[in-house]
Amino acid sequence: MTVQDLLLSLQQFWAGHSCIIQQPYDLEKGAGTFNPATFLRALGPEPWRAAYVEPCRRPTDGRYGDNPNRLQQYFQFQVVLKPCPDEVQSLYLESLQCLGIKPQKHDIQFVQDDWESPTLGARGLGWEVRLDGMEVTQFTYFQETGGQVLDPVTVELTYGTERLAMYIQEVDNVYDLVWAKGVTYGELYHEAEVQFSHYNFDIADVGMIGTTFESFEAECQRVLAAGFVLPAYDYCMKTSHLFNLLDARGAISVTERTGYIARVRALARGCAAAYLERREALGFPLLRKKVRQ
Amino acid sequence: MKRTAGLASSTRTNFLLEIGTEELPWQVIEPALTQLEQTLGLLLTKHRVGYEQIRTFGTPRRLAVFVDGIASKQTSVRQELLGPPKDRAYDVHGRPTKMAEGFARSQGVPVEKLEVKHTPKGEYLCAIKEEKGRTTNSLLRDLLPDLIQQMSFPKSMKWNNTGLRFARPMRWILAMNGSTVLKVKVAGLSSGNRTWGHRFGPRRAHAQDGIILKSPETYLTTLERYGVIVDHRVRRAYLESRLRVLARSAKGTIYQENYNALLEQATFSLEYPGGLLGQFDPQCLILPQEVLIAAMKEHQGFFSLVGKDGKLLTQFLAPINMKLSDKDMAVIQKGNERVLAARLADAQFYFQEDRKITLVERVQLLKSVTFHQKLGSLYEKTERMVNLVTILADWCGWESLKEPCRRAALLSKADLTTGMVGEFPLLQGLMGREYARHEGERESICLGIGEQYQPRHPEDTVPQSAIGLLLSLADRLDTLTEFFRAGILPSGSEDPLGLRRQAFGMVRLLIEGQLDVDLLDIIRLGEGGERLVGSKPSERNRVGTGNNRATVKEFVIERLRYYGRIVHCLRDDVIESVIAGCSANQCNILDLFLRMQAIQSVTHEEAFDPLMVGYKRAHRLVEKEQWTTGAVDTTLFEHESEHTLQAMVTEAMETVASTLNARNYHLALQALINLKPSIDEFFNSVLVNALESAIRANRLSLLYRVDRLFGLVADFSHIQVQGK
Repeated sequence: MTVQDLLLSLQQFWAGHSCIIQQPYDLEKGAGTFNPATFLRALGPEPWRAAYVEPCRRPTDGRYGDNPNRLQQYFQFQVVLKPCPDEVQSLYLESLQCLGIKPQKHDIQFVQDDWESPTLGARGLGWEVRLDGMEVTQFTYFQETGGQVLDPVTVELTYGTERLAMYIQEVDNVYDLVWAKGVTYGELYHEAEVQFSHYNFDIADVGMIGTTFESFEAECQRVLAAGFVLPAYDYCMKTSHLFNLLDARGAISVTERTGYIARVRALARGCAAAYLERREALGFPLLRKKVRQ
Repeated sequence: MKRTAGLASSTRTNFLLEIGTEELPWQVIEPALTQLEQTLGLLLTKHRVGYEQIRTFGTPRRLAVFVDGIASKQTSVRQELLGPPKDRAYDVHGRPTKMAEGFARSQGVPVEKLEVKHTPKGEYLCAIKEEKGRTTNSLLRDLLPDLIQQMSFPKSMKWNNTGLRFARPMRWILAMNGSTVLKVKVAGLSSGNRTWGHRFGPRRAHAQDGIILKSPETYLTTLERYGVIVDHRVRRAYLESRLRVLARSAKGTIYQENYNALLEQATFSLEYPGGLLGQFDPQCLILPQEVLIAAMKEHQGFFSLVGKDGKLLTQFLAPINMKLSDKDMAVIQKGNERVLAARLADAQFYFQEDRKITLVERVQLLKSVTFHQKLGSLYEKTERMVNLVTILADWCGWESLKEPCRRAALLSKADLTTGMVGEFPLLQGLMGREYARHEGERESICLGIGEQYQPRHPEDTVPQSAIGLLLSLADRLDTLTEFFRAGILPSGSEDPLGLRRQAFGMVRLLIEGQLDVDLLDIIRLGEGGERLVGSKPSERNRVGTGNNRATVKEFVIERLRYYGRIVHCLRDDVIESVIAGCSANQCNILDLFLRMQAIQSVTHEEAFDPLMVGYKRAHRLVEKEQWTTGAVDTTLFEHESEHTLQAMVTEAMETVASTLNARNYHLALQALINLKPSIDEFFNSVLVNALESAIRANRLSLLYRVDRLFGLVADFSHIQVQGK
């Protein structure tokens, strides 16, 4: 199964379980959780089911294209379900079957992994799902995002698509993955890994990024004050990525680090509160719809 | 309240409650089972339901509690509650008074039903309440929801609109008493007689609808057929034997140091106790052994194997939740090997990268690593430690170790900036040792750096090397005094920064490392009271130092008590006698402990308790009586026993004084024990409070010598004579 087929199969499967197939959000982000389709939609009483591929950037994980397992940009497949269905674990296992993985022929373990994102003011309880020892999915029952206690609870499934594909294709190097017939992952992304690793670790202009962080932070606050939460949240996402860049460049000390995280979190909290307020003002429109089943 | 037991029911059944969940974290299962067992036991007793025993079983997907031989009914009770005296309860006409009516009302009994009861104190009104026993089934239906809902976990979550919190979502409840299904509702679930087998186990046709359990007694066997070993004790035993077989097939044995922890983790992570043997690339053996073991254990929960020579083998054991054909197992094995290979590749990457920056260069990086928000950076801590070890080495008389100690202290925290320690925090110290070796530091320095966190836990040993001992002591001393100075103290059971553990480690270092230094001196040193080489104490804001010193001392002494009690099973009164006997301006932990041990060892001697009786008599007299102390005048002696005691005390004084200097407390105590006959004889033959005041004063002065003599060793007045 090619990477492309894997993504298509997951989309197909979750579309079949009433998920809206969303497109990736067009901003840099560290995880699919940042996408408004998760972070904002998890808030409030409105039901929500979505699935999407999300390209994620983690500048510190870059290895100049030399490491067979670590990438500074990779693809998550993200599923969010609210309220969370009782049979969510079975659904997840079924989704593996559609990738050709027969659970009864493997060792699948749900290993405790309580997730916390200090930048998003979010936390949840759940597992990392291990397939024959390899972590292939992060499975989280969100309890809180943006400092808001969630009710109903949203469950988030985050598939590590490269890991899964490497397992299925039995390759030990991510760059050897077949993305589509005749094209490898390496051919598509290796050069980007090399260039971005150089940029993230050595080239990025720390001064420029530092001041940009400040301006984006101010812009987020300003736009929030003007009452427009969606564009404000864009700037919150941007500051988070800029912080990651500064971190990769080794430009921030441990003490400063906590300070930066707190600043991004303040923005995320502001956005979450404003979003809830706005949805409430609109009368929580999705509540009125019949729940798609 | 008085209870009269009703007829116990003769019919007994077995009760089973199974709470089905999504995969629970392995650490919470055993505590949850204990909670269930205890709470249910209390409830049954409180509600007067007899039972034979309560057993619990647990896997990641189920918490089960099984009550053997539960009575079918509560025992009935007849309560007799005494009220006011009869003469105040009825008026002259024999009509009930207000008081009687009030009593009847308060007991919910009609006033005419009140009876009169004869008691030794006279006649009293008595309300008789009878409560008929309910059936156990009806009672359990009331109790079970609370039993489940009130369970608590270190971390809990909500998952549906009932708002119930549990460690993970609950998916089914099975509740049966004998063949009766007990219907209760919890977390939106209705209980039944249905359970579920292994997720991927045999007979998967039942995976959707579950398995109907015929009776509680068939619980374990039924689930075993569906791939689950519910009894964790059995599962642990199966797993152990499976692992042993696999280890033997690799001609190795399981690495022991982390075995028990890993076994517990595996037992409670699996429903079926499987395992397989995997292998990693022999090239990885260039990594330090500790790194390989950590990479296997920390993330994957793999067991490491060692050969006959104690060296690590390239094989490992992975706990697996399945038992499959060899072909399928081979696939699982390969998957696990691939994961470990990736982690070891990472470790190798760090091992190479880390060595590109020297430890000395890394010391500078510590400036941006926080020790604690209020207490500055690890660089500052390092500076303090360098000074501390220098003076400590001096005090211990280890002149030649001064320089190596300074070097080791300087480099001690540098490994905290390495990628390897970032990935495997448990390797702190050990990586420092490896990198120091790589840089060609002296072996004693490398060893010291490697041992600086010992003892890491109660079972761990203290450092073997002198440098390691001093580093570890200096580190803890600094942490303790700095935190106390900043006012960050543990309170009650809360000790988030582990200061008690630090102090306990300090006690062990001083005693087991035989460091002969005074606690008060080292606390003063930790507080910066001693001139710190190369730093200016005046720059540091030190407040309330005097008070802190006493607090820190008391804090450490408290750990000494704990150490004596728990590790060496010393008697509390023995511990207290030594601590009370310690002077205010001296406190040598090693010395105190040696005294405690010596006293404890003679408490078993026959003469000890009688000796204490005699000593205490002397002590009390000396404390209580008024007289002018003077030298004992032997010419005033009237009885032979006075001469004997005087001579014996003089002799014992010499022995004790000389043995104290050599810390030979066993000899000192023997000398005291030898006094027993003469003290007894003295009290038997003379009257201390003699009529003639000169004789009385002389005898008291003699007893005063006895008291002082004992006081040289400890304050024996704290010893409690064990009654025969």
